Amino acid sequence: MSGMTSIIETRDLSYSYGDGTQALRNVSISLQAGRKVALVGPNGAGKSTLMLMMNGILRPSSGEILFAGRPLQYDASSLRAVRRAVGMVFQNSDDQLFAPTVYQDVAFGPTNLGYPAEKVKRYVGFALQYVGLSGYERRPPHHLSGGEKKRVAIAGILAMEPQVMILDEPTSNLDPASSEEIMEMLDELNQGGKTMIISTHDVDLAYRWADEIILMKDGDVIRRGSGPEVFMDADLIRDARLKPPLVVDIYQELVSRGIASGARPPRNILELCDLLQPTGEGRGRPLGKIYIWDVDDADGVEIKSMIDRMENCCKGAMGTGAKLLAERSGIPMDFTYGVIDKCILKALIGKDALIMTSGGMVEHTMKRISDYSRESGAGIEAIRTPRP
Amino acid sequence: MHNLLDDYAHDNALRDVSARLKLLLGLASMLICVSAPTPAAALFVAATLSLAVVLLARIPGRVYFHLLLLPLSFALLSACVVAFMHGDGRTLFSLPIFGLDLAVKEEGANLALLLLARTFGGMCSLYFIALTTPMIEIFATLRYLHLPTSFIELSMMIYRYIFVFLDQAARIHSAQVMRLGDSGARRSLDSFAMLSSVLFLRSWEQGERLIIAMDSRCYDGKLDIMEQAVKATGRQMLAVGAHLALASSIAVLCREPSLL
Repeated sequence: MSGMTSIIETRDLSYSYGDGTQALRNVSISLQAGRKVALVGPNGAGKSTLMLMMNGILRPSSGEILFAGRPLQYDASSLRAVRRAVGMVFQNSDDQLFAPTVYQDVAFGPTNLGYPAEKVKRYVGFALQYVGLSGYERRPPHHLSGGEKKRVAIAGILAMEPQVMILDEPTSNLDPASSEEIMEMLDELNQGGKTMIISTHDVDLAYRWADEIILMKDGDVIRRGSGPEVFMDADLIRDARLKPPLVVDIYQELVSRGIASGARPPRNILELCDLLQPTGEGRGRPLGKIYIWDVDDADGVEIKSMIDRMENCCKGAMGTGAKLLAERSGIPMDFTYGVIDKCILKALIGKDALIMTSGGMVEHTMKRISDYSRESGAGIEAIRTPRP
Repeated sequence: MHNLLDDYAHDNALRDVSARLKLLLGLASMLICVSAPTPAAALFVAATLSLAVVLLARIPGRVYFHLLLLPLSFALLSACVVAFMHGDGRTLFSLPIFGLDLAVKEEGANLALLLLARTFGGMCSLYFIALTTPMIEIFATLRYLHLPTSFIELSMMIYRYIFVFLDQAARIHSAQVMRLGDSGARRSLDSFAMLSSVLFLRSWEQGERLIIAMDSRCYDGKLDIMEQAVKATGRQMLAVGAHLALASSIAVLCREPSLL
């Protein structure tokens, strides 16, 4: 990892609670800027404790934390600086949302940073728009669903423009669709340059989402590495009271039966399908095309005409803006999460697909598809559609 | 899911009318109710504000009626006591019980009626505020009135967490009922004691988590209050003014306690 800057580093970090329980033992890790990191481990492994240390809420019993190369100081102004740069979203949204309205809650950080009223308003507006909750300003938190509360909690952190976002169990207590949407939003934020750290014991989620897994047990870091590196080690996983991700489990069974072979396990369903049916072999079936449409400031009429034109396509909306637009125009979307993979899968079986997205996600989508085409040899065409 | 007053406050036809005006109407009506010497003004206020709640704010009549029933039953009970215990003048009727002569006298009866009318009018005024004005706007008005910031901030957080604890209390209660914690008066009492103590501990823990949550967002003693955008229109002000003028003139004109 040379050449990359480490944004958060811990050196021999230990922590004991008042009753003598040791929650962390000599944890030394360094996290690179711009990565997606998952702290994985059973309950009581020390994940939350470690997270609370990263923004200075808990003070280590011994050892130190470095933020952007500088040791964390615990005086008021240093703490303010680090808490602004390292935003934390708690597991239980009700712990985090303490103000009586959505607006007030999101405005809490910026107000306490001393921004003038006009700037606070602007930042709150931006953050709420980002998480897709414009128009919810006056709602009290107890009138929101679990997913909406989580979005408000994220907006409250976003309004402080952190470099690093730490989320403790971001998908616990959310329904599957909300979980996927939240994780997609975290992806989007990561694309925008923010370092993301989550804790979870959902191994499937960690495996598919994270660039780097930090496996913890009893206050120790027992393994660091990419998803396949960590989760292919069956003994290690059993020892940590976890289970392998479903895709890895399937892969191992397929390999032992001689049905599949490959140097590394698939990361997701798309890779699993490719493993079973390599695209390079020319299956004789024509491939579908993927159209990518930048919906930035598109209106309802444009969307209608585009959708009419693309009637036979599978449609996917990616990113909060595109999803909201689709919802408002009343167009049923086939995919609202995992959109790129789903569309590639459809293209592989000869169906055309349309991806609605906006902003920086357009480039990201083009790149993902062309990378896939090159690596797999499938040659799927990604076409940027002009406005109708 | 309309089961709390708060839900109605957030979702009624008068939601977007200036909170200051609604508070003025409610509070001034209440003052007129308690200061008028005869029941007439209070009954007038009760009738008009009830109509406003049901017709203008479109709160379902049944809900409103049920809400009123609770305080009214208390008021009725205390009015009875007052009627029997109080006053001089002509005896209206008497009940001989165990050799004691329980009599309702003129003055007592009038006082009881007045009490009933004031309670009724006062409750209607209070419900008018509670059913049409969300708490957040009341907070904004409190700040406009220059009440101490710490008082308002504390109220806001208490308000927010009422719902969290209400939810927890409901869940604990279900858990108790599920395991028959409500079978018999004694057990119900025990369960209630347990619920209270658990809730106390939880609120303590919640408080500690609240501090962490605030600290991790750089708490520096500032809590924003949403500014109120809505201004009262001339017509609305005129209507409220007319109502208050009418109610106070009734209060001033009907001075003789001569209903009976």
